[in-house]
Amino acid sequence: MLESLRKLGGVEWEIPIGYTPNMNVPGKFFLSDRLAAEVEEGAIQQLANVATMPGIVNYALAMPDIHWGYGFPIGGVAAFSPDHGVVSPGGVGFDINCGVRLIATPLREEEVDNRRELIERLFRAVPTGVGARSPQKLSIAEVKNLLVEGASWPVEHGFGMDADLHHCEQEGRMEEADTAHVSEKAIQRGVPQCGTLGSGNHFLEIQVAREIVDKDAAAIYGIAEGQICMMIHCGSRGLGHQVCTDHLKTLEQAMKKYRIDLPDRQLACAPLHSSEGEAYFSAMAAAANYAWANRQMIMHNARTVVADLYGVDYGEMNLIYDVAHNVAKFEEHLVDGRRVELCVHRKGATRAFGPDRPEVPQAYRATGQPVIIPGSMGTSSYLLKGTQIAMEKSFGSTCHGAGRVLSRSRAKKQFRGSTLKQELEQKHIVIRAASNAVIAEEAPGAYKPSDEVVRVVDAAGLSRVVARLEPLGVIKG
Amino acid sequence: MPFTELEHTADILVRVNASSIEHLFAEAARAMFSFMHEQRKGGPVARTLTLEAADMDTLLHDFLSELLYAAEVDNLVFSDVDVSISGSTLAATAYGEPFDPDVHAEGAEIKGVSYYGLQIRKTEQDNHYRVDILFDV
Repeated sequence: MLESLRKLGGVEWEIPIGYTPNMNVPGKFFLSDRLAAEVEEGAIQQLANVATMPGIVNYALAMPDIHWGYGFPIGGVAAFSPDHGVVSPGGVGFDINCGVRLIATPLREEEVDNRRELIERLFRAVPTGVGARSPQKLSIAEVKNLLVEGASWPVEHGFGMDADLHHCEQEGRMEEADTAHVSEKAIQRGVPQCGTLGSGNHFLEIQVAREIVDKDAAAIYGIAEGQICMMIHCGSRGLGHQVCTDHLKTLEQAMKKYRIDLPDRQLACAPLHSSEGEAYFSAMAAAANYAWANRQMIMHNARTVVADLYGVDYGEMNLIYDVAHNVAKFEEHLVDGRRVELCVHRKGATRAFGPDRPEVPQAYRATGQPVIIPGSMGTSSYLLKGTQIAMEKSFGSTCHGAGRVLSRSRAKKQFRGSTLKQELEQKHIVIRAASNAVIAEEAPGAYKPSDEVVRVVDAAGLSRVVARLEPLGVIKG
Repeated sequence: MPFTELEHTADILVRVNASSIEHLFAEAARAMFSFMHEQRKGGPVARTLTLEAADMDTLLHDFLSELLYAAEVDNLVFSDVDVSISGSTLAATAYGEPFDPDVHAEGAEIKGVSYYGLQIRKTEQDNHYRVDILFDV
């Protein structure tokens, strides 16, 4: 562990101003002793780099799943003041609005005795893996509409229900979206991919709610022990990647114009209300809308499979919630006792708003926002609730997942996809993937245990565990 | 070895070495192609591109980003590339084959080419060019 990583108490740690030159605020970490011992120096340096950005408020924050990325570390959160602050694609990532949604079905575990067939049908219904294209042929005009309308576009076109929209963060649509700042290249990439899962750590999983920890919150979210759920993890596909690539270029130029000097080119940024900053923000919002539409279309196809196979009514498969874990948004927070609007960047971090926030759907408002933390392949995922403590300590943010400990190439050397598949099947988890290599890369042993990461956010009070879900079957790209 | 993979937990970090700047660009592209699709047969399909940038680091970043875009929108699997650089302008021809899910499904979907640590250096001992590139996957 680095000596300069100082324990403040409990699960809170700090690197002081001065760890790297020109820090405006300290860096703060939420880690158990075990996670603190393992945190990479590169990730700490990246958080220190974030602390040098103009207009950053209070702290550069690291969630317990922090790891070495590019620009911000993964698991990084930073809020910027509207007067002096900046917006940066380095605080969002290439996969804009990568996120997770959780759907509760009325099925019980014992009713799903033909998992292999279910997984095979899902694999056929949801295009998965490198080069996969959507069966829904959208036109350029339709993609442009969808970029403005977000999840409501597929709902209006028959791919879902109105109720779904109320259970998405931001109701599945950022109103700042403007297609004028989304390049033709990005739109071209978006045309064939809406409704596709992608590859890497993205997945669609069939899960069972194995353990209910908070009965009251579970009842409000509509989840009970033994209930079959579906979890979808993916983002904005090539469209979002292109938006990030395009705007990194313009923001790099803007840095010279606004005389901003930062230690990593990937932190390219511009003042929030500059023309370049606003252009990126509106394009990022459009890509975020694409991601919500993408998850909506995938959910529709998955619901259709379950409805056909089990005779379940489509309308009985409720979307519990959909969270974004790579996004920047304007939100009101208390700073030094004053309510101010900040631009909060979450890169590999999840919003975890506590009770009484107007952004949380009415039905959940007294409880707090549902937070969905996917596990690594074959391990538990969690449903949590946002807290008032998160509002006070982390701009209403928590972790986003397990976090890798092994590189993909090392995982491929250490694990064999075919062996892992057998091991998972011995645990009655059916896996269908585009290749065995992706199974090896995503081996549970390549990740921090999600249980530990969730335990830390629970101990810190950034969110509280409501339910633990175990996988029964998974499709991967 | 024209390129080696370095340890990076989340993404793919490669170190590319070459005797000339053109070779460095071509090797960087070949490294990227090798991660995108594990099985490639090569093929006769060619795509040309011309780019200009203020400095070589940006030119390399833009070149790789452009190849990612071309591969995705044209549904192509590239295997090789010829590069020529004159001043701040690059001209390249990439060669490949149409994407076939039965052959090309194994691989990593590269989301983007990061600027993080991307800095072309000349090595003192052998006068070669070297660059580390982080691909988001």
